[in-house]
Amino acid sequence: MNNVKSGTRGRALRTIVLSRGRVVLDALEHLVGGLGTALPAFVVLVWLLLVALLCAVGLGFLLAPTLPRLVRAPAERERARLSRWGPEVIAMGAAPSGVRAALADPVMRRELRWLLAHGTLGLAVGAAGATLAVQAVQDISYPLWWRMLPRDNASPNLVSWHVHTDLDALAVACFGLVLAAVFVLIAPGLARLQAWPGRRLLAPPPDADLSLRVARLSATRAAALDAHATELRRIERSLHDGTQNRLVAVTVLLGATRRALARDPATALPMLEQAQDAAETALAELRTVVRGILPPVLADRGLPAALAGLAADCGVPCRTDIDIPGRCAASAEATAYFVTAEALTNISRHSRARGASLTVRLRGGLLALRIEDDGAGGAAPRRGSGLAGIRSRIEAHDGRLTVTSPPGGPTVLEMELPCGS
Amino acid sequence: MRIVIADDDFLLREGVAMLLRAESLDVVATADSPETFLAAVDEHEPDVAIVDVRMPPTHTDEGIRAAVEARRRRPGLPVLVLSAHVEQAFATELLAGGSSRLGYLLKERVGRVEQFLDALHRVVGGGTAIDPDVVAQMLTRSRPDRGLERLTVRERDVLGLMAEGLGNASIAERLFVTEGAVHKHIRSIFAKLDLAPTDRADRRVTAVLRHLQSTGAQS
Repeated sequence: MNNVKSGTRGRALRTIVLSRGRVVLDALEHLVGGLGTALPAFVVLVWLLLVALLCAVGLGFLLAPTLPRLVRAPAERERARLSRWGPEVIAMGAAPSGVRAALADPVMRRELRWLLAHGTLGLAVGAAGATLAVQAVQDISYPLWWRMLPRDNASPNLVSWHVHTDLDALAVACFGLVLAAVFVLIAPGLARLQAWPGRRLLAPPPDADLSLRVARLSATRAAALDAHATELRRIERSLHDGTQNRLVAVTVLLGATRRALARDPATALPMLEQAQDAAETALAELRTVVRGILPPVLADRGLPAALAGLAADCGVPCRTDIDIPGRCAASAEATAYFVTAEALTNISRHSRARGASLTVRLRGGLLALRIEDDGAGGAAPRRGSGLAGIRSRIEAHDGRLTVTSPPGGPTVLEMELPCGS
Repeated sequence: MRIVIADDDFLLREGVAMLLRAESLDVVATADSPETFLAAVDEHEPDVAIVDVRMPPTHTDEGIRAAVEARRRRPGLPVLVLSAHVEQAFATELLAGGSSRLGYLLKERVGRVEQFLDALHRVVGGGTAIDPDVVAQMLTRSRPDRGLERLTVRERDVLGLMAEGLGNASIAERLFVTEGAVHKHIRSIFAKLDLAPTDRADRRVTAVLRHLQSTGAQS
């Protein structure tokens, strides 16, 4: 009885430690990522002041026209970064050209305020967080390597006592543990603090939101039409160079057979066999083309069964948890089907995973797919890769794709599709 | 008759080759790209080349350009171009330098072996073979103000067959009339269209095709 209880308690403790560990690791990643935008922000800020000073001697006016773009660049990177964890911060696109237009632009003015905050406070917070983490690791491991240090220089940073014995070194390690505990406590807060100016100032002003949304929709709509045209070309090509050629071959062979029958019937049989082969190939190719347009299984058995079928065919064992009451728009279902197929193909081909899982939910008009594998990780949506294809298909439907794939895994793809029903 | 075939589709290439070999024609080489085709023409000096329009790398009009290039290297080389669909632009490009010893047929015509062989022999013999669908397209696209509407129904039939490249005898055979009647129709057609009368089949085709192309509706 007691054992069972302690077992349960042990499991609960493990869950808490694991989830806290994940939160802290995420916070560290965010802090370091924030440094990655805070440094450019700081550089641009310094350059901005320098150009302002140079204006006093006239030279600055020559350099001023480049400033809006220089301000926009780190701001856009910060927007992309913030969108990867937490609510989306819509990208703004190209900066206004000319200093006057830039100063009149409310978005630009907010970006300048962000630049000031992030280039100073954000930089300091990121540096403090990262230093704290590094210092904690250094101090905790101190007893292992302090003897290798030169005698007169054997005290780590932030430590007031001199280290002469192993006991002193152990004290340093304890101090390191204290630092680590402090980091665990304050890291998520630090990360939020660092992101706060960006979340406040880089999000569009409320009245601008709608027009930006429209601009983004227009862009994704154009992408959708492009994708559609590419798709039609692919279908035309496979019908033209595949199926049609097979059928022409059938007529050619049948023509030859007719002549052979009139001349020497014995030679007709192999020709007829070839003609039949060609007709069968035509049928097989036609089926492939049809499946590429809209998989019949979607219409016949619905999205849940179609997705379950994909998971069952996956090269690695794939657990499924699919809960979709009712149907979605046909285009959303087809997109969900194709991106799942692509993602599972990626997993069996590239990930070296031993297991995968597919979770699908329908919530509030959004179809949410989560595909996870325990493989090698390091997946990136490079141009022309499967992931890039998935992203463009998703974005063409005004959906969202989040990829988390640290080297060493696991890889998690999270997709949201407006399901239009 | 020594023949070179160029088509990137293996089954089709070998199918046509088999059909021609069964007719005791000599297929000396087959090619699957414009480069290998031109090399084969240089090496084997064939009597006729059969070329698919769509070939790598872009699968658009490589075959036409390869045919034009082959005729630039070996002037007067008879070439029969096969196409998966009617594209008047291809025909126009191919026939830009005259229609003698040229053919442009839909691929599936190969299955009608007698007519295909007839077209092949016509092209090798210095004539022309234009697919009936191409001619029909030219006729329907022709602007109404250029004389075609003055032709009788029978004269239009004769004009079509003439544009395909058939000689008087073949036209007479197809229409179940005498050669004399065909001759009379043709004189009448040339008069109505303001074309200089000629009895040589190749010049005749060129004149008729030019006329049809020049009267094509500008869309």
